[in-house]
Amino acid sequence: MKREETLLSETEQLFKTIFDEAGTGIAVVDLFIGEPIGNNRALQTMLGCSEEELSHFATFNELTYEPNRQLDAELFNELCVGRLDNLRMEKHFVLKDGRSVWSNAIFTLLRDCDRRPRYIIVIHEDITERKRALEKLQAQEQELRRTAAFLAQAQHLSSTGSFAWHVSTTNEITWSDELYRIFELDRAAPITTELIRMRVHPEDLAQFDKTVHEARTTGKDFECQYRLLLPDNSIKYLRVVAQATRDQDGQLEYIAAVQDVTERHLSEQAIDKARSEVAHVARVMSLGALTASIAHEVNQPLSGIVTNASTCLRMLDADPANVDGARETARRTIRDARRASDVIVRLRALFGRKDMVAEPVDLNETTKEVIGLLRNELQRNQVAVHAELANDLPRVAADRIQLQQVIFNLIRNAADAMSSVQDRPRQLVIKTENGGDSVCLKVQDTGIGVDPEVVDQLFQPFYTTKNDGMGIGLSVSRSIIDSHNGCLWATRNDGPGATFSFCLPRHD
Amino acid sequence: MVRRPLISVVDDDESVRESLPDLLQEFGFDARAFSSAEEFLAADLLDQTDCLILDVAMPGRSGPDLYRELTVRRQKLPVVFITAHRDENVRPRLLAQGATDCLFKPFSDLALLSALELALGMK
Repeated sequence: MKREETLLSETEQLFKTIFDEAGTGIAVVDLFIGEPIGNNRALQTMLGCSEEELSHFATFNELTYEPNRQLDAELFNELCVGRLDNLRMEKHFVLKDGRSVWSNAIFTLLRDCDRRPRYIIVIHEDITERKRALEKLQAQEQELRRTAAFLAQAQHLSSTGSFAWHVSTTNEITWSDELYRIFELDRAAPITTELIRMRVHPEDLAQFDKTVHEARTTGKDFECQYRLLLPDNSIKYLRVVAQATRDQDGQLEYIAAVQDVTERHLSEQAIDKARSEVAHVARVMSLGALTASIAHEVNQPLSGIVTNASTCLRMLDADPANVDGARETARRTIRDARRASDVIVRLRALFGRKDMVAEPVDLNETTKEVIGLLRNELQRNQVAVHAELANDLPRVAADRIQLQQVIFNLIRNAADAMSSVQDRPRQLVIKTENGGDSVCLKVQDTGIGVDPEVVDQLFQPFYTTKNDGMGIGLSVSRSIIDSHNGCLWATRNDGPGATFSFCLPRHD
Repeated sequence: MVRRPLISVVDDDESVRESLPDLLQEFGFDARAFSSAEEFLAADLLDQTDCLILDVAMPGRSGPDLYRELTVRRQKLPVVFITAHRDENVRPRLLAQGATDCLFKPFSDLALLSALELALGMK
């Protein structure tokens, strides 16, 4: 008996120690008595109550978060009457000091040998900390979702997409929604360089590949612009700004923003176009002034003709007829008529200038000015301009404005000749050369070229393939160069395209 | 003997200076031509001139400038302006200032004659 008692006492001691020292709250309910008969220190600490207070159901009830009391009680009752053997629930307690405490409550029913409900063991695991952390996490997640939504909206509003490119590791590229939209690609598609290349405009592929290669090898920040050619043949202009970073393992990664600048580009094009139109209108208006000037110039000799002819008639009507006088008036009439004709010819060639103003002109400077005027238009038409201007070029005696007009005409013609070229780069080379006692300028293109048989026809008046009034034709260009004692001609290139050249005698 | 009226012509254009005096002679006037306002004033023919034919636009002093100066000097003469610039606003202004007429080149001989007769009739 004593050994059994000792064993029992030892077992009791064992479980009592477990009970007392457990970090989890434990309560034992005796269903015969109908009250909790035991609770451990952990539970007391958790619920902020004394051992005595926790010996009453009422305490547990009061501590239960009010809205839950009825349900919790009903569930507990199911255990008490034996309809349930186990119960797990999350219990929300509100302590005396107002603090909330959450517990993972596990209820286990113990039956007696007649299967009647006898005891209930309740284990309370304090999950308050965990719950708070979860709530915080959920709030953060929600905040993150909101931020992501704002970001997506911002990207959408500004037509900017973004991507992350894990260069050194997986070469994986992660895209934002907006970027998929910009590229008009299915969101499900995994992004690879090949897929992107499918969208890049063929003319920009070389540049694109170069940028990618450089990014891979140098790991430096980069910026670039290229076009997309979309399945419906529309074009988008993109601007990419990428920053190199290292991820947590020190591996190279690029974070980039890609902006659809098509609208801005088209606006810039429209502005350029508007600018040229304004220049054109200004030119036309000054043409109006020119016309007035021409009228003025012509009306003078015309007036002379009318006056002389009137005088002539009166002289012949006189009695006796003043034949000598009439003869003189006739002579003057012829001279005035010639004057009128000269005026027309001169003004047509001069295109706005009353008199040709000759001064020492630096052809290099003049050429640079004209290139500057046409730069935007050439860029827009993807014409690459190379100026090879000779050093120490002697000056020529010329009307600078007229020479500008000739160079303007030649460059524009060259650009026009290349406008239909698709299969080779559109290259424009403008050279100035010192030719001893002359100075030469050559405009070389890679366009449709000239037929040597009929090249002279190009310089005929009224020969025109395009006439938008912005410049002077080749015939006038030639007459300007001729009037400067120079020579203007065209030759076919060895390769594609033509070269238009003129030479002028040097001045100094 | 009735003195023929003297018409002084001031115009920088050579054709006009060459042709007008002969026509004026055929009209029965005496005529002198000058290439500028300065030349005319230097010739000191103001007192003898019965009527002026002035070109509007000239380098240096313009026709209207000369006319204004004469008005200020109280040496006003009848004036017929001639001009190669077709500007609709010019004629009314000049008429308001007292000019007899403003003719656009090329003008007919009859138009000139009738303007001169009107100018001289007013003297």
